[in-house]
Amino acid sequence: MRSAAPTTSDLLHGTLDALVLKTLAGGPRHGYGIARFLEDATRGVLSIEEGSLYPSLYRMERKDLVDAEWTTSESGRRVKLYRLTPTGRARLRAEMAAWQQFSVAISRVLLAPA
Amino acid sequence: MLWKLRRRCWELWHGEQLERDAEEELALHLELAAADRVSAGLDAAEARRRARLELGNPDAARDALREGRAGFWVESVGKDAILALRALRSRPAFAAVCTLTVALGVGASTALFAVVDAVVLKPLPLPDPSALVRIYDVNPSKGVERSGVTTGNLADWRRLAPRYRGIAGHYTMGRTLTVGQDSEVVLTAQVTEDFFPLLGVEAALGRTFTSEEARAALYDNAAAPVGPDPVVVLSHDYWQRRFGADPTLVGRTLVLERRPARVVGVMPASFAMPAPDVQLYMPWGFSGDEPRDQHYVSALARLAPGASLLEAEAELRGVANALAREHPRTNEGWTVNVVPLQQDLVGDSGRTLFVLLGAVSLLLLVACANVALLSLARGLERGHEASVRLAIGATQGRLLRQFLMEPLLVSCAGGALGALLAVVGLALLKHFPAGLPRIHEVALDPRALVFAAAASLAAALVSGLPAAWRRTRAQPVSELSGTPTRVAGAGERHRIRDALVIAEVAMAVVLLAGASLLVRSYQRLQAVEPGFDPRGVLVAPIFLDMERYGHDGRSRTYYAGLIERLTALPGVVSAGGATALPASPLGPDFERPVWPEESASDERLRRPAWVRMVTTGYFRTLGMRIEAGRAFDGRDSPDGARTVILSHSLARRLWPDGGALGRRLVVDYSTAGTYPYDVVGVVNDVRFGGPRSEPRYEIYLPHAQRPYLILNVAVRTSEDPRRLAPAVRQVLRELDPGKPAHGIHSLEDLLGATYSRDRHAMLVLSAFACVASVLALLGIHGVLAHRVRERTREIGIRVAIGAERGHVLRWIAGYGLRLMLVGVAVGGALAATSARVVSGLLFGVSPADPAAAALVLLALPLVGLVISLHPAWRATRIDAAVVLRTG
Amino acid sequence: MAAEKLELLILKTLALGPRHGYGIAQRIEQVSGGVFRVTLGSLYPALQRLERNGLIDAAWKASENNRRARYYRITPAGKRRLVAEQADWERVSAAVMRVLKAT
Repeated sequence: MRSAAPTTSDLLHGTLDALVLKTLAGGPRHGYGIARFLEDATRGVLSIEEGSLYPSLYRMERKDLVDAEWTTSESGRRVKLYRLTPTGRARLRAEMAAWQQFSVAISRVLLAPA
Repeated sequence: MLWKLRRRCWELWHGEQLERDAEEELALHLELAAADRVSAGLDAAEARRRARLELGNPDAARDALREGRAGFWVESVGKDAILALRALRSRPAFAAVCTLTVALGVGASTALFAVVDAVVLKPLPLPDPSALVRIYDVNPSKGVERSGVTTGNLADWRRLAPRYRGIAGHYTMGRTLTVGQDSEVVLTAQVTEDFFPLLGVEAALGRTFTSEEARAALYDNAAAPVGPDPVVVLSHDYWQRRFGADPTLVGRTLVLERRPARVVGVMPASFAMPAPDVQLYMPWGFSGDEPRDQHYVSALARLAPGASLLEAEAELRGVANALAREHPRTNEGWTVNVVPLQQDLVGDSGRTLFVLLGAVSLLLLVACANVALLSLARGLERGHEASVRLAIGATQGRLLRQFLMEPLLVSCAGGALGALLAVVGLALLKHFPAGLPRIHEVALDPRALVFAAAASLAAALVSGLPAAWRRTRAQPVSELSGTPTRVAGAGERHRIRDALVIAEVAMAVVLLAGASLLVRSYQRLQAVEPGFDPRGVLVAPIFLDMERYGHDGRSRTYYAGLIERLTALPGVVSAGGATALPASPLGPDFERPVWPEESASDERLRRPAWVRMVTTGYFRTLGMRIEAGRAFDGRDSPDGARTVILSHSLARRLWPDGGALGRRLVVDYSTAGTYPYDVVGVVNDVRFGGPRSEPRYEIYLPHAQRPYLILNVAVRTSEDPRRLAPAVRQVLRELDPGKPAHGIHSLEDLLGATYSRDRHAMLVLSAFACVASVLALLGIHGVLAHRVRERTREIGIRVAIGAERGHVLRWIAGYGLRLMLVGVAVGGALAATSARVVSGLLFGVSPADPAAAALVLLALPLVGLVISLHPAWRATRIDAAVVLRTG
Repeated sequence: MAAEKLELLILKTLALGPRHGYGIAQRIEQVSGGVFRVTLGSLYPALQRLERNGLIDAAWKASENNRRARYYRITPAGKRRLVAEQADWERVSAAVMRVLKAT
């Protein structure tokens, strides 16, 4: 059953990873912050679900693309803050290139005449 | 969703074909790819290698395709099944109750279906059974509706009616078979030469009769074979029971009625013509001049190919008319009725059985509704589970499938258990045949198993759909709050639950209405005055043979001596005998025209009366009343004047002024002449065939003046008649060891057997009604209890702010009563519209019987109200303080 | 490449006319400039899914070299799905692009 707006479960694994890495490239954030940022940046086209975001962060943390640590936020609550590692930065560049190629290829097929 | 499921089934079915197609497609793909590379300059081998490399392994693709087809079933459905199994295991009580409920419902309905199928639906186990018919002689002018045919007419019929491929006759009576020292009376059927060929059945062992044997088998007036020693064929059942299925029996000689009889064959186990209790077959040939006025032969026929029943009947009627013109003295006024054989055998058991089948289906629905209620209650507690699954990405269709798996598993288990119960039930049924025809054919065969599977599936859907549907309508996880007690759609949930309970009550009401009508009807049957007193009376049919007893009045002496000895037994009040005894199926029973001697010319006073030969002491033994004159005594001796006793209605008909006594009655024995008799007594009417039969015109002749070899001897005792049986047998043995009785029964049992079908229908329907009522009341109780549980907070608050306990009680109990009343109203309306269905079974009771209606419409709500008091009372005990604290 | 995107490309290819499996693979490879190399193990399961969901249907016909091949064709339901999926894709890829291109 399709929901109204595409959600992150519709995206490919790699794409979500790339988006998260790009977000973190602008500075460390906690999970909720990443989600909010992406929703804003895509002007609501993408709605980020916890069900895919956190597994993605987990995966990337294991592959050492991001770093995580527990800190206290402004409101005094404990949050896990994620930060881009150098490996992650390199990976971001690769993912962006890959995405570019992928997206262009698809568009060519979708827009090509008979 | 359904379309996809259908497609998946189609894929599964055509799996092999699809595999081959896929192979071909993949191969072509590789070929085309290789071809392209060849035209790009590579050589053939290199092109193929490259293509394969770049496109990947076709085997992997094939596997993926296969996985796509089968994976659904293995993964998806298999996983659902395992999940459902685990869920059921975690609630064993719930699973057990549901399984048992389904098992009872499926078992009862399958057993009943097996009976309906075997008795009514399945064609007779004979070749081309739809062409088989029964032929009755009828004489409307004399008021004869259904009579046997005559041997004299049979030969002419065969000759003159080409629309019949063959017409066979048979006549059954008891004969004494002696094996070694043991004698017993067996039911033997004399059958004409074309009997077995017409039915199309060969002997299982040995053979049936040859034409020579048939032609030589002539019988005298007492149905004893004259001419060569008889040959016999055994029924399969008798061969098994009496001779232990001895394969060497064919060819051996037994002693039948003191004459040697050679066994030439054994019939197959499925052969049950003319009746399942026939044990022996003898050939039957006709001599040149057979009588045309003794209607004792049962006739069967097979229609010629292409002949319709109506055409054949019309043709035979034409032949009967022609014969009536040719032989006016014997055949005048006689015509025929032709009916399909299956219909004749089944009679109107069909109607009763279909009513019961309908009733058991209602019971099954009630059982399923209860399971659905249980599932609904349970599902609501697990409502949030669906929400989580929806969030993870399941579609509603997928969810529905998952949630239907539980009831499907329960129904599979319940159905299997139910089939076992049905087997047990059917085995029990065979021991208590309940007067149904063809009961020997009942078995749990593939058709019944298919019915069981269908019933289980229906049970799964009916019991599972409400809850499953409810659960898939839950909202995704984002709407979840803390306490999982409330899931969206409260109003809708209540509607389904209430509707189920109302439906249950309605169906229980319909069943109760039917059952109470049958009970009233049965009471009326029992209250019918049969015309005799069956209590304390034992009946023993005796068949004397011509050779020993056929001359010099030896049968008279024998029976007189027998009755004297029986009367002398301790505990015996009196004894007597009759050729035809009420409620007893054996013995010669025939009608003859009679009229008052002084009104010989008055056609209106010429009526057919059933003739019985009775001994002295008979009326006293049967508890019949002498209304005028006397019973038979010593004055009615062979050398005395011929005397007769009339039944009440006959005396009134022939002598309306009441002066039958002292007059003379003429009886017409057709070719044997007419004789006048002195009327010496009038006795009350009897219902010869049981409470459902009307009294007939009967005349009684003294056995001493007209001794018959066959007599039903009755003994009245002051104690339990069954305990007298051994003594009676002893007396018989002393008089003549070769003359045992054929089955000694109490007259009460025999009378009861005449309406055993009504009794059993009443018992079965009452059982169904009780179970359905209990289930419906349990349903009400459960719904109310659940409601109290749900509204615990609300009730606590109400009490806290000052509501009285009585008010709470009335609120809950009132809700239950409202549900019941709606259910009763719906059920009452349904029962009223379907009253016509049951009315055919009733006796002396109209479907609108007030007593029955009162029972149902008042009793059930009252009991329901009482039941409602329990959860209502529990509601009043809710401690407001506790509730508010735990929130 | 993810299966859903392949299904989208297949639908688009068939929207331009019926083809057999090899024809579909070729077209996608060509037009994407060789980025998408469609393997047997991804193409045919995708075709199976599309067929099962009623978005395409198929029939055996004679092919170029006179062998018979299975020709696939988009159904009206498939066309509707294509329109929806294409619109979705455009929105999503634009959004992703926006994020990735931002500084």
